[in-house]
Amino acid sequence: MHYTFKIERGNFTDAGQASSSVKRTLKQLGVDPANIKRTVVALFEAEINAVAHAYGGTIDVDIDGEKIVMVVADEGPGIPNIELAMQEGWSTASAKVREMGYGAGMGLPNIKKNTDELKIDTKVGVGTTVTMTVNLA
Amino acid sequence: MPTGEIYFKHSLRVNGYLCKGCTACMRTCPTAAIRIREGKAVISENKCVDCGECIKACPHKAIYIKQDDFGLIENYKYRVCLVPTTFIGQFDTKYKTKAIYSCLIRLGFTHIYEVEHEVARMMELYNLYMEAHPEIRTFISPYCPAVTRLIQVRFPSLVDNVIHVRAPLELASRVITKKLIDEGARPESIGVFYVTPCAAKIAAVKYPVSGKDTCVAGVINMDFLYNKVMLMLHDSDKNAQPINHTLNSRDVQWSLAGGEAPHFKGAHYAVDGLQNVLNFLERLEDEAIDAPGLVEMRICDQGCVGGVLTTQDRFVARKRLEYRARLFERLERSKIRETPPEDHTLTPQWIKDMEISEIKPRSIYKLNDNYAEAFKMAERMKKIEKALPGVNCSACGAPSCAALAEDIVRGDASADTCVFINPLSQTSKDAMKRIWGDRIKDTNKED
Repeated sequence: MHYTFKIERGNFTDAGQASSSVKRTLKQLGVDPANIKRTVVALFEAEINAVAHAYGGTIDVDIDGEKIVMVVADEGPGIPNIELAMQEGWSTASAKVREMGYGAGMGLPNIKKNTDELKIDTKVGVGTTVTMTVNLA
Repeated sequence: MPTGEIYFKHSLRVNGYLCKGCTACMRTCPTAAIRIREGKAVISENKCVDCGECIKACPHKAIYIKQDDFGLIENYKYRVCLVPTTFIGQFDTKYKTKAIYSCLIRLGFTHIYEVEHEVARMMELYNLYMEAHPEIRTFISPYCPAVTRLIQVRFPSLVDNVIHVRAPLELASRVITKKLIDEGARPESIGVFYVTPCAAKIAAVKYPVSGKDTCVAGVINMDFLYNKVMLMLHDSDKNAQPINHTLNSRDVQWSLAGGEAPHFKGAHYAVDGLQNVLNFLERLEDEAIDAPGLVEMRICDQGCVGGVLTTQDRFVARKRLEYRARLFERLERSKIRETPPEDHTLTPQWIKDMEISEIKPRSIYKLNDNYAEAFKMAERMKKIEKALPGVNCSACGAPSCAALAEDIVRGDASADTCVFINPLSQTSKDAMKRIWGDRIKDTNKED
């Protein structure tokens, strides 16, 4: 099953619709609540990352019998140093983003914690594609 | 034929004679538990959480809450009226609490016990659970039984966040029963009758989530008792006997939204009203909000004064309880009234009786136990949903197009019932096209 969502820069208020919609399907499938939680937490974090840092992008979710693959692709500044970004507490979020309660530097580490596979393709000045996989079995 | 009563394991009933099939209840139900069949509302046993929103929405008073026969109290020598302060909030502040309670005695009760006496003990039970589960970040108060049931069916991943303690009325009935036994009463001669502001609390007594026995002999609907007392208050107050009630000012407001807050030391959130509760739980489940501490949730707006069996405007009732609390506070400050001591004592038996070993998740979304089958159904459902107009007109007897799509894949409905896909005649098709445009399909196809 395939889902596509759009990401709009700076629209924190509407963020979360993708994870809510995916959550609904996973509940219909009777997926274990722990796996549902991992999936929606990772997806929400990745969406917030794109909303906060990028100029716009898309979310593509594919669900099959064994796994959930989520691809969050954005056009944005890219991540200059992935190693740093993977460290807990390291953040380049603006003051405005932090004011909204985001930007604590937990995004990518939290995604890594909640997924079985994480791939980050990034090009400075072009954009970032985050591919996350959650295995169901 | 669904005429007369339709029975299921809830306290809610549809009166088939009064129901017009108007869809008002169906559209408001938070678990999509209602369908229209043969022109009448039918409530699904497995989906209903007894929140009572359908009763509030029904313009024909066709949904009601079955209560125990009031005559039942005559079977007991000790007839305890277990009353929440919400009941007092139903009366104008010109009536003294003792005048109201004396009416209850005249109606046949021998004792009156306020549920709010258990505030301190309930808080102890909450703390015991919270201390035993340091791994849980957000605790949800078990105060509102409809919230617990809503979590079971719609947010199954949050069942462990709910404090596994039974409803306060269960503790209150045990405490008063023990008190009477200590005074020499035989256990079988004691009947505790709870005055309920809502359907959820009846369900909590009759069909508890814990699966354990209740100590409550019967449940009386608050509106029924209000009418009886109101008649007597108007009738004459001459026979009123003073009854000592010993609640302190804080406890009087326990049932109101935000009422648990003053009793809890840590971080605390008070969420009331169905839509607010749904939004909060949805976001909590996604971890889109971080709420360390205790979340108090009430399905009814303003808390129990918004219950479906209350008789007064909830804002007025709230104000009245606040007024009484302030009055108590003043009297306590000026030493006219003694501040009642808080009783925290819990017997090992009470702790055991109040414990819920497991709150079972009962997801209403799961399409099939077999993943592969569920996957096929979900795919088909997605397709059907796309083909449906998305108008949510309810003419098919389902609350929304998504619900119809689900009913179709579950084999409970057919796409023929959609008037957009299958208008009744060419004339109606043309007329509807003027309103809905392209959403009226030219060809009939299901998937």
